[in-house]
Amino acid sequence: MEPMHCGKPRPRQVVVPLLRRDSIGASHHVLTFDCEQPLEAAPGQFAMVRGAQWGESPFLPRPMSILTAGRRPSILVKVVGEGTRRLASSEPGELFTVHAPLGVGWAPCPEDRVPVLVAGGVGVCPLVFLARGLTEQGRRAIALYGGRSAGDLPLDDELAEVTDLRIATEDGSLGQLGRVTVLLESAIEETKGRLKVYACGPRAMMARVVEMCRAADAPCEVSLETIMGCGYGVCLGCAVPKVGGGYLYACSEGPCVDGHAIAWES
Amino acid sequence: MRCDPSVKVGALTLKNPVLTASGTFGYGLEFEPYFDISALGAICTKGLSLLPRIGNAPPRICETASGMLNAIGLANIGVEAFCTDKLPSLRERNVTVVANIFATSIEDFAALARRLDREQGIAAIEVNISCPNVDKGGLEFGVDPQMAAAVTSAVKKVTKLPVWVKLSPEAGRIAVIARACEEAGADALCAINTIRGLAIDVQTWKPRLSNRTGGLSGPALKPIAIRMVWEVAKAVKVPVIGIGGVTCAEDAIEFMLAGATAVQVGSANFRDPLAAHKIAQGIVDYCERRAIDPRELIGKALL
Ligand SMILES: Cc1cc2nc3c(=O)[nH]c(=O)nc-3n(C[C@H](O)[C@H](O)[C@H](O)COP(=O)(O)OP(=O)(O)OC[C@H]3O[C@@H](n4cnc5c(N)ncnc54)[C@H](O)[C@@H]3O)c2cc1C
Ligand SMILES: Cc1cc2nc3c(=O)[nH]c(=O)nc-3n(C[C@H](O)[C@H](O)[C@H](O)COP(=O)(O)O)c2cc1C
Ligand code: FES
Repeated sequence: MEPMHCGKPRPRQVVVPLLRRDSIGASHHVLTFDCEQPLEAAPGQFAMVRGAQWGESPFLPRPMSILTAGRRPSILVKVVGEGTRRLASSEPGELFTVHAPLGVGWAPCPEDRVPVLVAGGVGVCPLVFLARGLTEQGRRAIALYGGRSAGDLPLDDELAEVTDLRIATEDGSLGQLGRVTVLLESAIEETKGRLKVYACGPRAMMARVVEMCRAADAPCEVSLETIMGCGYGVCLGCAVPKVGGGYLYACSEGPCVDGHAIAWES
Repeated sequence: MRCDPSVKVGALTLKNPVLTASGTFGYGLEFEPYFDISALGAICTKGLSLLPRIGNAPPRICETASGMLNAIGLANIGVEAFCTDKLPSLRERNVTVVANIFATSIEDFAALARRLDREQGIAAIEVNISCPNVDKGGLEFGVDPQMAAAVTSAVKKVTKLPVWVKLSPEAGRIAVIARACEEAGADALCAINTIRGLAIDVQTWKPRLSNRTGGLSGPALKPIAIRMVWEVAKAVKVPVIGIGGVTCAEDAIEFMLAGATAVQVGSANFRDPLAAHKIAQGIVDYCERRAIDPRELIGKALL
């Protein structure tokens, strides 16, 4: 019946109550919703989330990576502005519109390559989901997780459960001193270049990771975090410049895309 | 009482008074997973140009109080790809399609209309003389009555399809432009497109959009749009289609009371793919409670 979505779970928008909010420090919060019909989603897909009682401002829903799917889907929110502040201060029972699953998730990792996940900040979210999936398939990923200091590494325990986790902080408060790219250098060496990198984090980090993968001739997927209007391909607001000119649309062609296809310098 | 939600826009009968606005509904097929879009009054396509356009550099959108700014730059697949890749599927699904067109010269507007006129399955052409987000050809047609009339008659001449003209709120006196388009043969007038706005990031001291200015849409636009629909409806005899900040049935009813025969739902689609569908249902519920047909609302506040 649905040629555009065959084999892929259909996106839907539902109104669901918040089940619980778990704060991790002051600026990170895991929001868990209560869905009657389980949310089917693949690692790397996202949801557009908005408070059902927000009125007209903030007007648009906010894109959030799906951390867990199922009857109790969850997201990890970092406060950066008004929308995320409202999400972070919501209380159980409050109603939200959740439009999911959206976008294209991570592509499979070839059998002959080691999956190496590179996370920065809330970019950890789609990677935790990916690592859990890999574990179910009997594969173990290496995870490299970086932040300014120990407080910027939400879900590090969750990641440690399902990966071989290595941490770097810029102030040296946890793990190795320096940026996550230092860890990537040794991971490339350790795997003798037989790795596939999955990265999600700040733009500058992803650009550097892609550059290193290019030098090592390794595939590298990234999850793009652009501003989004609709999340499902109808506003054309989420354009990202491509190598060779033109744009791709992060919500419908991504958010998980080949990092080598993005014109990072622009 | 069961009401009859259909409305007539000139010779064209629409199933109900709710359409979706150009640039906020893709090419319609994106809504396939959510609902049967053939149940809508009509869908207006993303603005089509003769050649494909890649659009403006990002950031293209930003949120503002009760609305948003956009400067997409009319990114679209081009009229040819629309006719071959999208229209057949829309036709198959019996969708009422309004093709929105954009060009930078009168000749190109006519060429677009001529191309679309060859196709089956298009209910009307909506001529966008009001896009604020391109270097050339957007607004100058929309703010000068002679230019607006020239575009309208050039398009009228080459097609037998109904021609709707989408007006710009940037025209000093929108009623004057509306009348000029009506005299040039417009079958309906759509009001309004977005109004140019500007938002500046106080951390970086730079405009938030790469295009600098962008078109304001959403609820913030609504009272201005209703005032303009009201002015246009008083000035012309052809039907008026109201656009601007419609997010619920009450908003749509307000436009109809101000003189609109139908409304288009725009940015509201971004936060709910079912917005237009729900609004159409809401109008029916409202009318059934009052035992009237939606068309009886049209212009009731026009004093
Ligand atoms: C696919 C995808 C997945 C995401 N996953 C997560 C997640 O799991 N957890 C999380 O906390 N955040 C995530 N984000 C980012 C999140 O959507 C933004 O932080 C949020 O929309 C900002 O809203 P706000 O109202 O708080 O901020 P605003 O007041 O709108 O903006 C505050 C600042 O954030 C920037 N910003 C706005 N929107 C975005 C955006 N979409 N991406 C990046 N920066 C933005 C603005 O330019 C501004 O500098 C994701 C974004 C995308 C596209
Ligand atoms: C992202 C975006 C893209 C748009 N693109 C077009 C377009 O291509 N052609 C056009 O005539 N209007 C375009 N519009 C204007 C809308 O059709 C509508 O007139 C306007 O958004 C006001 O309605 P709203 O407040 O319901 O969104 C666009 C609006 C938005 C928000
Ligand atoms: S966010 Fe609207 S098209 Fe991607």
